[in-house]
Amino acid sequence: MAAKPRYYETLYIIRPDIKDEDLAKIQQRLRDAISANEGEIIKFDKWAQRELAYEIQNYSRGIYYIIIFKSLPGAVAELERHLRFYNTDVLRFITVSITEAAANKERAVQESKEAEASAAAAESQAEAAAQPAQQEAKTENEPAATEPAEGGTN
Amino acid sequence: MESPRDRKYFAKKKVCRFCTESIEMNYKNIDILSRYITDRKKIVPKRNSGLCARCQRQLATEIKRARFMALLPYTVLH
Repeated sequence: MAAKPRYYETLYIIRPDIKDEDLAKIQQRLRDAISANEGEIIKFDKWAQRELAYEIQNYSRGIYYIIIFKSLPGAVAELERHLRFYNTDVLRFITVSITEAAANKERAVQESKEAEASAAAAESQAEAAAQPAQQEAKTENEPAATEPAEGGTN
Repeated sequence: MESPRDRKYFAKKKVCRFCTESIEMNYKNIDILSRYITDRKKIVPKRNSGLCARCQRQLATEIKRARFMALLPYTVLH
């Protein structure tokens, strides 16, 4: 029986004092694990940094990251193998299968966010071109400043 | 005509809030889930939550997922 691709959501907690390069390494492994199994990543984001309801490995805070992806069922085992391998940095993880409708909703959100981000980037570039060189530093900061506000409206 | 005995057993019919209001039940949505745990952090039973059987089962699953991810506590003793 040919396995059909399904939609999954993985939420994992990273310890709060992790180094940036370690986090990048872990996330690269996770991306590879999904794409190696005909996977398509819909969302790969930080979800929250919050107080844990109880201590895990003596940490009372954690950073939550979320992955929403479409892949063959085999990718989940692969992904969880990697999460388990880094169990000193990854405090907890959970994978649940989600409906196609929920996944498509996320996809729409991500796409509109990307469109807004690129529009904002294009706008600030146009502004930078129009304005004298001395104001360049100011306009470069603009896309970063507008992004949180856009996230709020979604 | 209604007899007095019938009236004695009359109770307001409970309606499942998740079925009627189409709120999404999700383990990440702690604000909604925390309405259905007691002050001792137990899951509120069906007779008190007023949910239908299907929603109550899903609620229990989502609360347990949230507990595993340290979004909700298992007990007050942590």
